[in-house]
Amino acid sequence: MRLAYLWDSTKCIACMACVVSCAGSNYSEIMRFEEPNPMMKWLGGNIRVVIREVGRPELRLVSCFHCDKPPCVLVCPTRASHIDRDTGLVLLDETKCIGCKACIVACPYGARWLHPTTLLPEKCPGPVCIDIIRGGRKPICVSVCPANARDFGDIDDPNSSISIKISKSKSERPLELLGTEPKYFIVKG
Amino acid sequence: MKLKRRDFIKAAGLTALTISLPASKVIVDSIRREEAKGASLAPEVRWVKTYCGMCGALCGIEVLVNYGRPAGVRPILGHPQPGLCGRSSSLKWLWDSPLRLKKPMKRVGERGEARFVEVDWDTALNEIASKLRSIVEKYGYKAIAITHHDVWSYYMPLFSYLLGTPNVISHVSMCHANGTVARGHVLGAGGPPTIDPDYENASYLLLIGRTLSTASMGVVNRATSNEKLRIVVVDPRMPEVGFGNVEWVPIIPGTDAAFVLSLIHVIIEEGLYDAEFLKRYTNAPFLIKPDESPLTEADIIEGGDTRKYLVWDLKVNGLVDHKAAADPDLLYTGKVKLKDDREIDVKTAFILLKERASKYKPEEAEKITGVDARTIRRIAREFALYRGVADDTWYTAKNGNDYDNVRAILILNTLIGNIDKPGGLCYAESARFPSIITVRTIEGKRYAETVYDARMPEELFGDVGAPRVDRVKYRLTPSTFDAILDAIIKEDPYPIKALFVIGTSPIMRDMNTSKVIEAYKKLDLLVIINILPQEDVDYADYVLPDTIFLERDEIRSTKWTLHASVQVENRVIIPPEGYDVRDALWVMFEIVRRAFPERAVALGWSSEYANYKKYEEEFLHKLNEGIISKLVATWKLDKEAFTRELNEKGYYILKRKEYYVRPYKTALGTPSGKIEIYSLTALANKLDPLPDYSPPPAYTLPKAPNEFYLVNGKGPLTSVHASLMEPMKYVGDRSIWMNPRDAERLGIRDGDLIELEGIDTRAKAVARVKVTNRVREGVLFVYSQMWGRRSKLLPQNHFAREGINPHWFSKDYVVPIVGGGASNSSVRVRKL
Ligand code: SF4
Ligand code: SF4
Ligand code: SF4
Ligand code: SF4
Repeated sequence: MRLAYLWDSTKCIACMACVVSCAGSNYSEIMRFEEPNPMMKWLGGNIRVVIREVGRPELRLVSCFHCDKPPCVLVCPTRASHIDRDTGLVLLDETKCIGCKACIVACPYGARWLHPTTLLPEKCPGPVCIDIIRGGRKPICVSVCPANARDFGDIDDPNSSISIKISKSKSERPLELLGTEPKYFIVKG
Repeated sequence: MKLKRRDFIKAAGLTALTISLPASKVIVDSIRREEAKGASLAPEVRWVKTYCGMCGALCGIEVLVNYGRPAGVRPILGHPQPGLCGRSSSLKWLWDSPLRLKKPMKRVGERGEARFVEVDWDTALNEIASKLRSIVEKYGYKAIAITHHDVWSYYMPLFSYLLGTPNVISHVSMCHANGTVARGHVLGAGGPPTIDPDYENASYLLLIGRTLSTASMGVVNRATSNEKLRIVVVDPRMPEVGFGNVEWVPIIPGTDAAFVLSLIHVIIEEGLYDAEFLKRYTNAPFLIKPDESPLTEADIIEGGDTRKYLVWDLKVNGLVDHKAAADPDLLYTGKVKLKDDREIDVKTAFILLKERASKYKPEEAEKITGVDARTIRRIAREFALYRGVADDTWYTAKNGNDYDNVRAILILNTLIGNIDKPGGLCYAESARFPSIITVRTIEGKRYAETVYDARMPEELFGDVGAPRVDRVKYRLTPSTFDAILDAIIKEDPYPIKALFVIGTSPIMRDMNTSKVIEAYKKLDLLVIINILPQEDVDYADYVLPDTIFLERDEIRSTKWTLHASVQVENRVIIPPEGYDVRDALWVMFEIVRRAFPERAVALGWSSEYANYKKYEEEFLHKLNEGIISKLVATWKLDKEAFTRELNEKGYYILKRKEYYVRPYKTALGTPSGKIEIYSLTALANKLDPLPDYSPPPAYTLPKAPNEFYLVNGKGPLTSVHASLMEPMKYVGDRSIWMNPRDAERLGIRDGDLIELEGIDTRAKAVARVKVTNRVREGVLFVYSQMWGRRSKLLPQNHFAREGINPHWFSKDYVVPIVGGGASNSSVRVRKL
């Protein structure tokens, strides 16, 4: 089983439900902090919003892309960051993390951020989503999206809704050239 | 077992930073994890179905309640209008927000100083009541006014009788008034949700000045589930949907009517219209006399019927009542002999439309709209060939010429006959939801009867029958708050001395902020019922803290769906400890019970309900039971099955959309019962019966190189409440957008500060520029009803103080007769 994410850029209306819900549900302990995520100057959550302005403005929602060849895992001295055998997701074993921040630097997408109180290198999936996923359900960002723009599921299963969507549409993966083999599909048409 | 660091820190609750969090917060996540694993939830932890009140769209949502706190939100799947958006996602922050108004307050400083003392409910209500009594003694009940938004709007007619005043005047002039009047005139429809594109079956959707993402995520859900839908947005700025796979046509502000009339021109010229539809279901074949009125039977026969509109029937080659005509001629022009033997020239309404539209050949329209002629032609052809649908608009308080834009848009849909058909512009089924109050005559005597069967006799109506201040000035308006300001400032047409502002913020909402403030300062009594310190609060005599939607029990009809449906709002949670808040409904009754006891009693209130628990348990129960029993009777439902399903699912669909009804089988609410491409109501009110383009009358057009249109709009975060919540610090855009070419010309870079000066209002403000292609050259854009907060009750460093409120720069232009406002303006820009 290899779990993957899909985000349909043709449908997303930038409503911010996923961005805000991710923060509020996964990291409610810091939701009222003056600066919940000082490193990124952003919400204490796992999705960042990037608007690219080359010609026609483009929206990107950046979170962990769950690379099959993850630089963050490669650089981790303790194997705290690892690819989970059951799900294929890039996860963190908190008990092994020594807080060296190498993974934060190594991630070419800037998907990791420093939790202000635990000082763990946070990333998607957050603690609540991990459990939701382990319970066999779709994570929060997928379940809240009003625009049918998100999906999550097993890309090794050709009948999963995500596999069907990938096969039926034109999609790309973020910065494919880097060779990180992300398991995150951006539908373009 | 190793203790995980995250759990360790949480369990110990030891960092200084987490101390402020109540203990229950810490267990939210663990409980949610249990639920995720499929374990059954503890009774204290449950998902409750309700609907969202963060904006007026009332999307169906489920809230995870964890030991009395909201812990998560998700859409109700299967709901005819499911949530969610960034606003509803932030309700977790709202419920126990430190910003929430927590206790009644009474002003001790000058208006605007925001100096208050906390008082108990009794003191506040008694004092308000005694002030109301003396105002009424001197000026009558009609000197009291209420303004509101969607919150509590269902109860407003009740409040009108309760206070004996006609002056209950909502936000609508600053929202959809211009469009709503147009919908009435052309299609016999009402507010924006009464007709809507059939998004899930449409093939080509034209959004003209309309953003799908503003509110009602059910609409988004339906449009995005339609894989074949092509979307074209016409707007000076690229709305959020523009990020997706849609075509964005940047247009010069205030020129939509010229654009749409040009589409109409192309469709007529190229014969792409649905002639059969126009002949049968519209007044296009009506013959129009030189005096602009339609030719009726009364014109040609003594004692003829003025409601028999004559057309030229090609079958019999003669004048025939439209209803009886076999083949009405769309293109007839000729002479007609009247009953007094005079001969006059007549031509069809369709020809008049054709002539009107021909003023806007694409090459001409290009000069006005800035959209090139080829694009106009292509969109016109695509629209006709794909059997497109143009959204009937929502927010239309923009440039002062919006009424004509919307009429043109509705006529565009009519031309291709795509009305009340799958994929077309459809009439929503009505839930026939009972009104809170209706006037009935029983044995020759009039009563105002409530949905819960209380009866107020006529002699207690007070001034309810007096002319409403806005309708005196703007005959057709659904609601024009600016007229209240005039009534306060100039006592025109009569003085208003007391104002209740319920669940809204005129300072953020209405044009010309300084006029709103001037009026506030002149009032004898200003009472604000709200949940957060909106700037208006600073001017109030009394501030009364309201409940939020999660803390109420209500039943409503579902908006923004073509089906007839009702939904419930469950009292998901109670207010946080120390938040001494009360429903506005209770507040209004309790004020009136103290001021004019006989009025409250007549409307079913008893002094027992002063006890809030009794109000919740008995009064609300009686009210909701009243609504339910009326719905059960109207729809012939099994009460038990109905309430069970309503509570289990959160909604109940009363009737699914039936296509091909209006205007096919059922006459419309227009004077002719037909779709009126040539509006007889407009004519009767001395308005142009056909839409036309005129330059925006609401502001001086920008001319000099440093002058710009300042347009404002809404997005998926727009809400005066949500914008104060912590997440908006990061996801809310407080900048002012400028096109890169303008920026280069003025030497302005992304992130620079500029000074804006209103060309008409002379107001000045500083804002940070975002240089972006999302806005057309010559135009600046800001989100409205979000930023530029000035309440002294907000922390000094609150992020919502940044940015601007576009209404600082707008004049108080109101569209004559129609009554809609206009919030765009023009500004001069100086780099700082
Ligand atoms: S911060 Fe933790 S997870 Fe990241 S590289 Fe260092 S040890 Fe590994
Ligand atoms: S899966 Fe969960 S943690 Fe990851 S982005 Fe979505 S909501 Fe956030
Ligand atoms: S919830 Fe969906 S529509 Fe909203 S921002 Fe996220 S992906 Fe886009
Ligand atoms: S659009 Fe958003 S804020 Fe408005 S009712 Fe729906 S979920 Fe709530």
